This record gives sequence, structure tokens and C-alpha cells, in this order.
Amino acid sequence: MFLGAWVGFPANRAVFAVNRGLDAAFLKPVAMAYRDMTPQFFQDRINAALDNLRAPVILFNDVLQGELERAVATVIRFLINSSLGLLGLNDIATDMGIEGHDEDFGQTLAVWGIPEGPYVVLPLFGPSNPRDAIGMVVDFLIDPFNTWAGNTDRNYAVYSRSAARAVDLRATHLETLNELEKYSLDFYASIRSLYRQRRINEISNGDPSANWPAPGIGQGPYRETKLKTQEAFRTQ
Amino acid sequence: MLDHNRTQAALKGLVFIFVLILPLGLAPPSVAAETQEMAGSFIRSLADQAIKSLTQKDTPRDVKIKRFRTLFNDSFAVRSIGRFVLGRSWRKASKEEQTEYLKLFEDLMVVSYVDRFSRYAGDVLVITRTRAENPRNTTVFTKVKTSSTGKPAKVLWRVGSRGKIMKIVDVIVEGVSMSQTLRTEFSSIVRQKGGKVSGLIEELRKKTKSLKASGQ
Repeated sequence: MFLGAWVGFPANRAVFAVNRGLDAAFLKPVAMAYRDMTPQFFQDRINAALDNLRAPVILFNDVLQGELERAVATVIRFLINSSLGLLGLNDIATDMGIEGHDEDFGQTLAVWGIPEGPYVVLPLFGPSNPRDAIGMVVDFLIDPFNTWAGNTDRNYAVYSRSAARAVDLRATHLETLNELEKYSLDFYASIRSLYRQRRINEISNGDPSANWPAPGIGQGPYRETKLKTQEAFRTQ
Repeated sequence: MLDHNRTQAALKGLVFIFVLILPLGLAPPSVAAETQEMAGSFIRSLADQAIKSLTQKDTPRDVKIKRFRTLFNDSFAVRSIGRFVLGRSWRKASKEEQTEYLKLFEDLMVVSYVDRFSRYAGDVLVITRTRAENPRNTTVFTKVKTSSTGKPAKVLWRVGSRGKIMKIVDVIVEGVSMSQTLRTEFSSIVRQKGGKVSGLIEELRKKTKSLKASGQ
């Protein structure tokens, strides 16, 4: 509670503003150029290859979450896409009906029942919380790609991959974020809400709860009984 | 002998269960199934309407906005959503503030969702399943193939029903709820304005004005 109040409002907003400035100056222009000046075919290949490289981390977390079916799917996808898919450049597994999914250690911690803690905006990395920040570090440490790069003196590979991922991710969300920025009354609050809702969705593997609070049709005076469920979604 | 009788009694009991209890158990789902089907076709027809009236490229934007306003008021529970989004502040607002807020809220929704709506409810909308959440709420799960990226987006439509009347109470795109996001945003603004709804109304007025002026 104290920590939440401390890292809460002022620091988060300030870091958010700095990140936004950096984004406008560097990442966004690059992402726009990438989207507009390279063929869609090329972007799809890059996206597939980056997804494929994540397989070991996804598998690690599938297993830790006890999701054995998903773990098997991850292994099969990796084997197919790395071989027939030419080093992951083509997502053949999805065409064959084995769809991909993402996992990370932040989600694993959530599945284990560890609370997220206060919302924190990290410099450069953006929206997060203690649980997801720890998850990010663990995922980095267990990723065999990083171990390989470290052991063979190829740190540039880690940087290039991170940069490629940032550009790929930013390019896919250009439109959505532009719209959000344009129509929001409070962009910071929108992003905060969005981040937490997306994480809840990812943790539940896209199976939303039936208790999701929503407006009722012809709703009477605001009911206090609803507040309990809404607490879970309270984004402050 | 005694054992045999017991078995028979148990069998009779089982028959009793199958004949009398089971139909009772089955009855409610079939009502729910009907509501689910209605909710599904409600979303389908809404998508068809959206394609007809909003997706033509040569339609001027102000005409699109006008059409969307009608569509929005017909198919969304605008008042309920507006009230939900304002959360606890609703009761703190005066009657005049509530009226003005709802009017501005509708304005904001119409100008800010006209483009996004035609994208989420285009002809590429496929209903994957429906689920009854409670007697009054059904979720219609859809997959929408957006033009920009290859992967289809998961869009959930929360449909509230009262008798034959059906209205959308929330749209959830890739796990992000429209109502929930607006609620966080609005409450953040009310907090910044010292807990005053009038401060939010002022911001809403500014935002809708600038969005209308930008003409896009």
C-alpha cells in the first residue's frame, strides 16, 4: 500500500512522459518506416521468426503452469517451424492447425497466486508491475538464445533481436495506439487500464471470466453489491 | 431376495430421476439457448447493417457519423454504459450534470467509435460461439479479420436482454473492455479535478469539440 502510494502517481506519469517522448523521437518513426517501406511479406517473415525464437521461454512457462497440452503444442510448433518453416520464417504449424500462444514468467507467477503489486511504468520498457518486471528478468535469464549469445561473445545478437522485437511490436500496434491517443481524455489512464486488462486476459489464456463487471441493461441506481467484483478490476 | 428388491427399488428410483428430474434440468438451458441464439443473430444483423451503412468509401464522414449515431442508439445501452462508466461519481452529480454528461458521452462515443466500429463489425466478422453469463447477459464471441494485420482479432460482444429487447452493454477487443477502460479514464479525470463531475464534463466538451473540428 505504501509502496503503491510512493511509486504511484507522480513518478509513473513522469516516466510515462519520458517514454512517450523517446517513442515519438525514435521508435515510432522507425516502426512507421518499417511498416510503410518494407513489403508485408517481409514483415510477416520477421514476425514469424521472432515468435519462433520465443518457443523455449514459452515452453518453460507452459510446463511451470502445468499446461501440458500447450507445452506439447509449443514443442511441435517449434520443430515444424524451425525445419519445414525454414528457421521459423514461416509459421507452417498454424496453417496445419496448431495455433501459437504466448507465455511469460510474469503470467506463471500469477498462475501461482502471486499478486501483481502496484502499477509501475518502467523507463524504456513501459507499463509493468513488480510481478511482471521479475518475470521479464527471469525470462531473459532462462532464454537459451541469450545464453548462447553470451557464451559466444555475440551480445550484438541480443540487442538486434530486442530492437527487432520492439519495432515489430510497435508496428503492429501503430494504428491502435494512434487511435487511443487521439480519442482518450487521459492517455496515461487508458494505457494503465489497457495493460492490466490485457494481462488478466493473457493470464487466463484468453478465457474471460463470466463475472466480468459490465453495465446492465436498464440499470437501476448504482448497486453497491457490484462493487466487490469491480474491486478486482479497479485500476489505481 | 432382499437384495433383489433393493436393486429394483434403486432402478425405480433411477427411472424416476430420468423421467422427472432430468427434464427439469434440461428446461432452463433450452431457454438460455434461445436467448443465446437471439443474441447471436442480433450481432450478425448489426454487422450486416454496419457494412451497408458505414463501410462504403464514398460516403461523406458527416453522413457516416449521423448513421452511426442512429445505429449506436438503437443497438447499444447508451444510458447504462454512460452511467456505469461514471461509476461512483454518478450519484454525486446533479440532475443537470447527469443529463449533460450523458449527452456529451453519447457524442464522444459516436465520433470516436464511428471508424473503429465499422472495422470491428465488418463483413469479416465470424461468430465462433455464444455463452449465457446469467439470465440477462449473453456473450457473443467473434473473430474479426482486420485489414492491417494477418491475425484475426477476438472481439466479444456483451449483450444484455430484457424480454425481446437486446442491447450491447460492452465490447471487449482482445481482452480489453470498452466500458472498463472508459471507466478508469473518467474516474482518473474526476480525481484530478478534485472529485468534481463538472470538471469531467468540461474535459468531455473540449474533447468532443476538438474531435469534431478535426473533421477526421
